[in-house]
Amino acid sequence: MGFMMTLSTILATLASPIAALAQSEAAHAASQEAGHAAEHVAHAAEKIEAIAAPGVGPMWLLLIPVLPLVGFVLSALCAAFRVKSKLPAWLTVLCLGASFAVTLGMYLQVSSGQIANPSVATGFEWIKVAWGAGDAHSIIANFGLYIDSLTCLWMLFVTGLATLIGLYASEYMAGDVGAGYCRFYAAFNLFVFSMSCLVMGDNLLLLYLGWEGVGLCSYLLIGYFYKKPSAVEAGKKAFIVNRIGDLGLALGLMLTAVHFGSIEYSVIFAKAQPYLAALSEGRLGDIPAVVQLIPVLLMIGAFGKSAQLPLYVWLPDAMEGPTPVSALIHAATMVTAGVYLVARAYPLFLLSETALPIVAWTGALTALLAATIGMAQFDIKRIMAYSTVSQLGYMFAGLGVLTSTGAAFHVFTHAFFKAMLFLSCGAVMHGFAGQLDLRKLSGVGSMPGWRVVGIAMLVGCLNLAGFPVITSGYWSKDMILGGAFANPHMVAIGWILLITAGLTAYYTFRVYFRVFVGPKYFEPGDEVHGHAGDDHGHDHGHDHAHADHGDRGHGHDAHAHFHPHAPGWAINTVLAILAVAAFAVIGLRFVGGHEGWVSGLIEHSSANYGGHAMYAAAASHGGEHAHATFFGYDAHQAMMYVSGVVGFIGIAVAFVLHYAGRTTAAKSRADALLPLVGPLAKWAQGKWYVDELYNAIIRVPLLVAAHVFHLIDKAIVDGIVDLFGWVPKFTGSSLRPSQSGVLHGYALSMAGGLAVLVLIVVMVMR
Amino acid sequence: MMDRLAYLWPEIALFIAACVVMVVGISPSVATRKFAAVVAGLGVVAAGILAWTTTPSGNAVTASSGQVLLPGLALYAKVGIAIVALLLLLLKPGTVDRAEEAAIALGVQKFDALRTNRAEFFSFFLFSVMGLMLVAGADDLIWLFLALELTSLPTYIMVAISGGAGREPAARAQEASVKYFFLGALGAAVFLYGFAMLYGATGSTNLNAIHLSLTTGGVSGLALAGLLMSVLGICFKIAAVPMHFYTPDVYQGASPSVAGFLAFVPKTAGFLSLLLLASAVGWTWAPGENGLTVSGGGTSLPEPLRILFWVIAALTMTIGNVLALQQKSVRRILAYSSIAHSGYMLVGLIAGPGDGSFTKNGVAAVLFYLFCYGVMNVGTFAVLSGLERKTRDGQMSEIDSIEDIRGLCATHPRLGWPMAICSLSLLGFPPLLGFWAKLPLFTSAISAGEIILVIVLGLNSAIAAFYYLRLFGAVFLEKPEAGAGEVTASPFVSRRVAAMVSAALVVALVVVVGQLTDASRKAAAPKAEPAASATIPASMNH
Amino acid sequence: MSNFLATSDLSSYLPIFLVTLMAAGFAIANFFITMILGPKRDGKVKGETYESGMVPMGTARKRFNVRFYLIAMVFLVFDVEIIFLYPWATTFPNLAHGDSNAIIWLSRIFFFLLTTVVAYVYGYRKGVFKFD
Repeated sequence: MGFMMTLSTILATLASPIAALAQSEAAHAASQEAGHAAEHVAHAAEKIEAIAAPGVGPMWLLLIPVLPLVGFVLSALCAAFRVKSKLPAWLTVLCLGASFAVTLGMYLQVSSGQIANPSVATGFEWIKVAWGAGDAHSIIANFGLYIDSLTCLWMLFVTGLATLIGLYASEYMAGDVGAGYCRFYAAFNLFVFSMSCLVMGDNLLLLYLGWEGVGLCSYLLIGYFYKKPSAVEAGKKAFIVNRIGDLGLALGLMLTAVHFGSIEYSVIFAKAQPYLAALSEGRLGDIPAVVQLIPVLLMIGAFGKSAQLPLYVWLPDAMEGPTPVSALIHAATMVTAGVYLVARAYPLFLLSETALPIVAWTGALTALLAATIGMAQFDIKRIMAYSTVSQLGYMFAGLGVLTSTGAAFHVFTHAFFKAMLFLSCGAVMHGFAGQLDLRKLSGVGSMPGWRVVGIAMLVGCLNLAGFPVITSGYWSKDMILGGAFANPHMVAIGWILLITAGLTAYYTFRVYFRVFVGPKYFEPGDEVHGHAGDDHGHDHGHDHAHADHGDRGHGHDAHAHFHPHAPGWAINTVLAILAVAAFAVIGLRFVGGHEGWVSGLIEHSSANYGGHAMYAAAASHGGEHAHATFFGYDAHQAMMYVSGVVGFIGIAVAFVLHYAGRTTAAKSRADALLPLVGPLAKWAQGKWYVDELYNAIIRVPLLVAAHVFHLIDKAIVDGIVDLFGWVPKFTGSSLRPSQSGVLHGYALSMAGGLAVLVLIVVMVMR
Repeated sequence: MMDRLAYLWPEIALFIAACVVMVVGISPSVATRKFAAVVAGLGVVAAGILAWTTTPSGNAVTASSGQVLLPGLALYAKVGIAIVALLLLLLKPGTVDRAEEAAIALGVQKFDALRTNRAEFFSFFLFSVMGLMLVAGADDLIWLFLALELTSLPTYIMVAISGGAGREPAARAQEASVKYFFLGALGAAVFLYGFAMLYGATGSTNLNAIHLSLTTGGVSGLALAGLLMSVLGICFKIAAVPMHFYTPDVYQGASPSVAGFLAFVPKTAGFLSLLLLASAVGWTWAPGENGLTVSGGGTSLPEPLRILFWVIAALTMTIGNVLALQQKSVRRILAYSSIAHSGYMLVGLIAGPGDGSFTKNGVAAVLFYLFCYGVMNVGTFAVLSGLERKTRDGQMSEIDSIEDIRGLCATHPRLGWPMAICSLSLLGFPPLLGFWAKLPLFTSAISAGEIILVIVLGLNSAIAAFYYLRLFGAVFLEKPEAGAGEVTASPFVSRRVAAMVSAALVVALVVVVGQLTDASRKAAAPKAEPAASATIPASMNH
Repeated sequence: MSNFLATSDLSSYLPIFLVTLMAAGFAIANFFITMILGPKRDGKVKGETYESGMVPMGTARKRFNVRFYLIAMVFLVFDVEIIFLYPWATTFPNLAHGDSNAIIWLSRIFFFLLTTVVAYVYGYRKGVFKFD
């Protein structure tokens, strides 16, 4: 019934642009059917309304962050008592599932209006610093939750996916039961707690706490296999690169506190109100430079956490962590924290002339760069990592071109299908002893027991490639592309994103056609338990000594009689649920607000607030072209077709190059094209040598400076410090004889000291 | 008279518990004897609950005892005291009678009531805590003196009997006790002398009457001399220069479980009485007829008293920290650190209540610091009492040397981590509790204009880092000694529990720092100023 | 703020100083007067310890059974507590007469006596009254 309704809505939506395209160019602007353009104009005319003062949220909302914290404590206790069973996994699934249930309750109450949107639920007063009377002389940071529909949207997929991936990991991590199992789940729960603090906090400091908390958990989980040097290095790299971004966030936070006198969202938004009014009336000069600087600083934080240029380098390396971690933290949730920050602080971003264009350009360029790198990689998990960077670029571009709805919708759909892709890759890695090289695996989807994984992978790839109409990824990506082409200043970004969409479809299906279909073949990896192998050593000069094993499933010299073990019920269940969910979220495009359920949520949150004021400003600057067109057609409607076609072409190219006529795992028709592109393929495979570049311009000079400073420190500073350290010690040893331990000596000293002190007082007073 | 009873329910609960403990503790049946500690714990809990529920706050008590100078103090102090006392009580089992109980369990020896100390030990503990609570509620010099002595007298005995069965530790404990007793008597004599002079100068022992006399009539020379002597005498209780000499010897001689007690209970009693005395003379004090000037706009102490506090504070923290540097005994390090912390807290006393907001309120800072210091200090002493090694005559005795705690995080993580956390917190390492405690001391002193003192405080905090980090490094970074097997965990689990609980509190209370500071700010609020028609006692005729 | 200690109110303590001086002077004067006036004789018998007319035996630094001390201390405690009862007994009728708080005045002294009972029980259990 529901499905039929959804289907009919899809058809209706598709029908309306067809009608529109049939009409003449001149007619469409006035057409009621064209919808979006008219609505934007209507919004621009509206007076900016103040964001409603928050209501009081019920206290049970605090259960959402508290339950994962309980899970953390329980898992830590399991670790303390050396539990050697899967108990922490079940406790985690229970706690996170309950948290998800509460989140669902929150969403239902918010959407039905039983909880005011927005509202604040204050747990307790956390930090209160006052340096005088009045509000202007204090900073208050409560442990309070800011509940609006943006919070609901984010928490729904955070808690929901965390529950599912917790279940998946119960099987995936089974090899570590009794070893790191409890540690894994403790960090896992702590992550969900931190993430919920980040998303739900009603002030920037609590967001910062969560921000650092997820960073810490990310570090702990990337370095989970701490005996592996590459994992340790990757953990450190992630942590250090994130520090740069966090510095920006911290500065932004401080500047907010200084300028607005508060770090609570409700107060900041209220105080930003006059600036927004000035913006909508075109009085840009009335907005102080400080206010324009705040979003730029916050943006640096967002770029660090969400792996955008130039700070994206940590994310691909972060794949050293266990795959469930890659799926949850480094694909679905934590990396979207930057998007969340921009969406949450959207009113502030609007106030800066430069912030959102920078966001848009950074996002678009990151998307393109990561896609080109992804095309040339051979490690399938790494390809997925670059695709995550690329898709995050899409989201930022979406925010930058003023379609926060599109960005949020893409976050939501991406969370599902990317988690599913990672979990599928993880299943492969788990089953084939760490093998991730797409030249050494083929036809996995048709091997016995791998059907669910194959289907899930196909669903995920279709979504990521943006296969038209039937995939949710298509709808969300389309919304961003449409938004980009609709914005008169952002058409160039639209083109970049469109090219990227084609590349994305190509590299996604390159993986699928190489690994999951075609002749059955595999070489097992060299690990006992499936975890990320750094396969760069294999990437170059692979000579195939083990040419043909067929589907016999064994034969590798070093791994004689290796049998891939197909995934069990937990992995299959989770993959099946996610596959269904990835389709089901399409329905969300056609219920709720005028651009679907997500837009209904976003429109009632800070992420949309004042968005149309920008259009008004743009209109007053750029003349009558408030709403740009794509070769004369309405951009949104045109993109439905163009992006679909581009995605389709990408898939077709991948089919031709990597599936059609392929008889072995190692070689395909694409190899024949390599000479044509010259060194480009090699450079892309080398990740455009960005790591090496950073090494040369940042790390090496720092090392040199460090040595120089070390010498100065040793020779001069240490000497002075030693002198200072020596003074108290010398005083100490000269005072020590006074502690003789003799009773009458003490009594005499006390009486003498008393006399001396009285004398001092008398002398001073004279 | 009846209204005063409203202040005393917690003390009455403690007194009854002490009476019960005294009888239960000398029962011939082992199970009944062991119940004494439980009774003591119940008594402390009951006192805490009663303090929370029955202590009148604000200016509720005005009828016949007159106004109390710091009306909110009793509630905050008594509840805080009960919480820390409960932690301290966890250290106490097994401190006395250990060898006797072991012999009785083996059947080697019969129970002899005369030779056991359990009943006395626990009831003296309760009496001392009771004295401390009485100090918090004092409104009269005689009450204050008796309460201070009730706090101290039991501790002399507790030190003496805490040495255990080993010949050497027992002798050291007795020596410490004798030193402590005689020097304590000297200190008490000094402040009693001061009290007498105050009475002579104002004609009253009631603190409120003294306050009225000093604020309306001015501070006479005699009153000032009395104040100086009182403060100097009370310096013994808080282990401040020049009355600090006993501290390291006594803390080292006593068992750590009792030393932890000494570091909190007499010190808190001393600071509470200093607060009462200072609030009687200062902070709302106006220029008097003798031309005494007031610095800082009528909210500061009389200049001579300020100078005295200033010199004592600067000397105390410097001497405490400097002497701690070269110690090898952890107990002595902690003793000197306890001296230094007294110096820190005196800074808050000098700063005074400011305009009442927490960051400028030195009085609230002192009250908050006392509680935090109690919590983190219990942790360190609990770790020391949770570890033991054989003495030469085969008895077990608590460890002392810093060598013995090397690599504790690896060998005994349940004791090592509390030691690491608590020593960092004592250092004032953010974001642990000690940092939040020290911060308002700095801010209040800065807002009071005591810049030089703040610099001294900062320098001392840096010096203190040397030995606290040494403790931290010893437990966390260094490898265990080769002969580390000699050091074993104490069989008394409650000591370990105390260490872990106080370390957990050091971390967890950070979350509610806002509420705690707010509570201490309320506790430091002065009484409402009397109406213009308030009669001044006739005895104030100079 | 020139001479804050030299205020006049110390003068009211002058009689006490005088008495103290007289007492000390008297003692010192007597000391010297006996040194000058007193006869000085020395002998074996004179150097002996005086013990209520008994012939002294052995050293005076002798150990006594600790129970003597215990008895003495218990006696002291109870004795002091009884002394407290005298003022109470004399003032109670006057205080309590017609006073609605009389029962409280009475119960206070019973509470005080109860503590004495606790002390007694403690002493008994401790074995203070046992001689063996």
